[in-house]
Amino acid sequence: MSLGLLLIVAFGGSLLTYLLGKVSARTRDAFAVLISLALVVMVASLYGKAFRVPFYGGFLGMPLVLRIDGLSWLFAIAASVLGCLSVVFSLGYMKGKERTSFYYSMLLLVIAAMLGVVLSGDLLSLFIFWEIMSWSTFLLISYNGGPALAAGMKYFVMSFVGSLAMLAGVLTLHGSFGTLEFTGVAAGMSSASPGYVLAILVLFGVAFGTKNAIWPFHAWLPPAHSEAPSPFSAVLSGILIKMGVYGFLLLMFVIVGLRTFLSLGVGRIEFHTVLSIIGAITILLPTFIAIFQNDAKRLLAWSTVAQAGYIILGISFGTSLSVAGGMFHFLNHAVFKALLFMVVGAVEYRTNGVRDLDSLGGLIKRMPVTFIVAVIGVCGLIGVPLTNGFVSKWLIYKTLILERSPFLAFAALFGTWGTILYSYKFLHNIFLGQLPQRYEDMERAPFTMLLPMTILSVVVVLFGVLPGIPLAVIDTIGVSFGFESLHVTPWGIASDTGALNTVNMLVAALVGLVVVWCVFRSGARSVSVGQADSYAAGAAVPRDKYQYSVRFYAPLRRMMAPYLKDFVDSFYMRLAGWVRGLGDGLRRIYTGYVGDYVMYILVFLAVLIFVQIAWSPW
Amino acid sequence: MVSPVLLLAVPLGLALCVPLVGRVSRRAAGFVPVIASLFNLVVSIRLLPTVLEEPIVANLGGFPPPFGITLFAGPVGMLLSALIALAGLVVSLYALSYIKTGPTVRYHTLYMLLLVGATGVVLTGDVFNLFVFFEILCISSYALVAYVGDRAGIEASVKYLIQGALGSALLLIGIGLLYGLFGTLNMADIAARIDSVDSVPVFVAMALIVVGLGVEAAIFPLNAWLPDAHSSAPSSISAILSGIAIQVGLYAVVRMVFTVFGASSVLLFFVFLGLLTLLIGELCAFAQNNIKRMLAYSSIGQMGLIMFALAIATTGSVTGGLFQMVSHTLSKALLFLAVGYMVYRSGSLEISSLEGMGRRMPLTSFAFTIGVFSLVGLPPFIGFPSKLLIVRSALAEQGVLLQVLIGLVLLATVIEGAYFFRVIQTVYFKKEEGQEARQDAPPMALLSMFVFVAFIVVIGVYPNLITDVLESGASELLERANYIGSVLG
Amino acid sequence: MSFLHDYVYYIGAFGLVAIGLLIILVKRNLIKLIIGLSILDTGVNMFLISVGYIRRGTAPIFSRPGLEPDGMVDPVPQALVLTAIVIGVAILALALALAVRFYKTYGTLDLRKAKELRW
Repeated sequence: MSLGLLLIVAFGGSLLTYLLGKVSARTRDAFAVLISLALVVMVASLYGKAFRVPFYGGFLGMPLVLRIDGLSWLFAIAASVLGCLSVVFSLGYMKGKERTSFYYSMLLLVIAAMLGVVLSGDLLSLFIFWEIMSWSTFLLISYNGGPALAAGMKYFVMSFVGSLAMLAGVLTLHGSFGTLEFTGVAAGMSSASPGYVLAILVLFGVAFGTKNAIWPFHAWLPPAHSEAPSPFSAVLSGILIKMGVYGFLLLMFVIVGLRTFLSLGVGRIEFHTVLSIIGAITILLPTFIAIFQNDAKRLLAWSTVAQAGYIILGISFGTSLSVAGGMFHFLNHAVFKALLFMVVGAVEYRTNGVRDLDSLGGLIKRMPVTFIVAVIGVCGLIGVPLTNGFVSKWLIYKTLILERSPFLAFAALFGTWGTILYSYKFLHNIFLGQLPQRYEDMERAPFTMLLPMTILSVVVVLFGVLPGIPLAVIDTIGVSFGFESLHVTPWGIASDTGALNTVNMLVAALVGLVVVWCVFRSGARSVSVGQADSYAAGAAVPRDKYQYSVRFYAPLRRMMAPYLKDFVDSFYMRLAGWVRGLGDGLRRIYTGYVGDYVMYILVFLAVLIFVQIAWSPW
Repeated sequence: MVSPVLLLAVPLGLALCVPLVGRVSRRAAGFVPVIASLFNLVVSIRLLPTVLEEPIVANLGGFPPPFGITLFAGPVGMLLSALIALAGLVVSLYALSYIKTGPTVRYHTLYMLLLVGATGVVLTGDVFNLFVFFEILCISSYALVAYVGDRAGIEASVKYLIQGALGSALLLIGIGLLYGLFGTLNMADIAARIDSVDSVPVFVAMALIVVGLGVEAAIFPLNAWLPDAHSSAPSSISAILSGIAIQVGLYAVVRMVFTVFGASSVLLFFVFLGLLTLLIGELCAFAQNNIKRMLAYSSIGQMGLIMFALAIATTGSVTGGLFQMVSHTLSKALLFLAVGYMVYRSGSLEISSLEGMGRRMPLTSFAFTIGVFSLVGLPPFIGFPSKLLIVRSALAEQGVLLQVLIGLVLLATVIEGAYFFRVIQTVYFKKEEGQEARQDAPPMALLSMFVFVAFIVVIGVYPNLITDVLESGASELLERANYIGSVLG
Repeated sequence: MSFLHDYVYYIGAFGLVAIGLLIILVKRNLIKLIIGLSILDTGVNMFLISVGYIRRGTAPIFSRPGLEPDGMVDPVPQALVLTAIVIGVAILALALALAVRFYKTYGTLDLRKAKELRW
């Protein structure tokens, strides 16, 4: 399977989808699904391969190369599978909306560009695909109009700053080493001075950090994730921002190299420690901001920022356990966060776009399957044992405890505590509690939505019970970075400091379940009463005027809100205001009176001549 | 062999035929510029391979240099003349449907004179001849800006004329000084002897010439006419003014500074001036609500970027600067053409009035989007390789100063991206109230826009198609000795 | 005095240029401004002529025997000036035409009143 063909199918599929949309909507939908499925199959068939192919002779004297190895395969398969599921989910979600051809073609373009990013074998093609990914994402984020416009703008500006920093980095490397292929740059980097390596890391770090939304580059993510169409939010949160993780992994362990990366620093401050502290900050702040969100998607968006913090913490900590944990968490987060965004999408679809946590509730009766998958997703997010999130978080905690970094371990654990709070709020305010009257005859989510959600929830459990499947792939990647092997078993890892065995846990859980069931069976029968009764103690409560999920966590909010201002975001907004003000002030030099303009010309001439005669700089 | 003289003689002759043709049929008059531009395009492209090997020096009237008027057709000249012909061709196709009212025959005559003037400036090897062609270019553009005859057009034209005439007077004084110092008007001849004279008068001459030409080249602070003129002219003329006229002005500045004066020590000043022009242009555009004015300010910014790149004066950066000229011509002309019909349909120049254009004029909006992406420098469009080249060559230079400056250039690009993408959002994603029927631009206008789109995409994907020409153009500009040698023999 | 004698044409020419520039700079009336431009042009043309002029020089034509090229006036600037005059007239004509339109549109020739295009 050639990589060129893969990209041609991906990009060509996107274009053809648009054109087909002009002919027939049904054909287009079928074609889009077909293309995304084909991509999954093609990527899957590349498993275990490692090769490179030049695909473009010389773009301004710089040859472009594609390559595949374990790392890029992992990201490629995640991107193509999530992309495929998202396309399937869109079939229902996008029905009846306008400009659907544009939507599908852009969605496929984003997927294609992501595949291009991870399959690039040199930094220039990485940059080119990165940019294509950025602008197509911008178009999709803005798709909904209204508040989405500001979100898209914020995304574009921040991501553009990042990619220009990356461009500067790429071209600096080209100037130094004359090649942009990863192997060549890596060879050059091994003998470069630490200051140079640090500068390169910072330049690329801005780009990857912005995409991955690590603090303080996270400001674009919450609005963008909440305003984008939900199936695309799933892609955005699940895999697109993980391109930043891919970039970091590539940069740290392939290009700079493990040893250089770990020894890099200014004085006693080590670069990778700084990065992991940033990761810890990225866990803490957004987690607590997420607790107080009333928009379901915005809650998930803030949660995405926080989870990205775990990933960064893991990979920048730089031990074999933590890097494996970080990579595994990226995969897990892709699965359960995409699942949760799809859940919100399904709810939105049936409630005509309502995602306000204060006005939903009780949907468990109307959408039971959606509820079950949501529970599984939330369990994964929290890291309940026997779901995938547990294993990856376990790896990260374990490293932090073993390596004795109490602050980071505290941040990670505290973050999980916050995760439980917001996950419960999410679950409760949508599915539990009272069912508002207006939703009483709501239908279930359509099959095209249930299918991808079910697949994802199965994956959540599967990776939780048999984590060895993905960990085997991750371990080979880790070994190729120069870490020692983790000794992966199908049910976990076997290490000297304590093995992980999920099968034992599964057995324990099943036994526990049986015991609990027996206890409840033997105990007294329960009497079921109405919801209002248990809440209002039998007093009459007017229906539909009373929603007890409103102002969830209000006391906690009163306590913490003053400390949780997103001052980074307000700084960016103020900066944008300043730039606009500066432009507005500057353009007043064009006064409109031609006499002033004549004066400018003559003064400029006079100054030129005067300077020359006075100081003769020429 | 085809002589480059034809590039001037044929269009000039045809320009004078336009009124005659117009007597027979007003509609036919519109096709004369098409024919002339097509002719120029074919001749320029045919001459390009020859010119790449050795520049053609044509002597008008048969006098050998430095006496007669010399035409110097090097890679830069041929590249720009091909570019002028291409833009001229496409815009004249566009004008066939766009220019319907008013004295159309005069429009076409002036339009052709404008193209002749521009071609003359890039081909001439004689300072005074440069002035003459420059004036042809300027005078026809003063008149064309006022073509619609509305308040804005008259006001802009008057202001443009005053500043332009002042500039040409300064230019002429400078030329007179040069003649007084060297007794010759041939560029190569002056260049060969530039060091033989006291530096102060030479500097004064250079200052006068740079300021005189700089008015047309939109160098800050000489560019105050530009936002007015470009936003008030008919869109087809805005496209030519933004895409061709100011670039020709900049070319003239560069030719004088690089080749004639060989002033390598003032280049750092031009680097700063270019950066200043870039930042001011982009910042002013950022605060605009008028779409054509925004595009005009963006042109100022782009001129600054081109000047910045050229003034770094390495082979790579000059190649990048010339590439950016090509890319700016294609992208900005495309934007003006697309905006022309959008504004025509919406009846207002406000950006907010473009809401829902994505639905009303899908193809025009698509062309507009491509133009924006290219201008901002996103792959896979032509603006990407050109900006890439500029940044690469600036970073290849040693020294922190240039790296800081390139940081500012990238910052300006971010600002540019921000205001352009706001317009994209307005065009596509803002919900408009009343649904209006789909009514795209007429086929001829669409055809012309999509010619530009095709060039933008093809060169964006295969920049190597034109890099050979650009590189030899760069070495032509940088190596004075070769220029002098090939003219004087 | 010999300085004045040698440079009187240049002084005259640049005097005209200065007057022209001053008018353009300070006058607000479009017609006066155009007059200023015209004076400026005249000054520039005179400067060009002065560059090639030789006191008591002859026309650069070998009309009778014994004429030395050293005593001839340089013909090139005169040719240039002819062209420059034509260009100047073209600009002047266009400017006046525009002035008429300007007056019709704005009802005044005061340029300060024409500030609709700004910023």
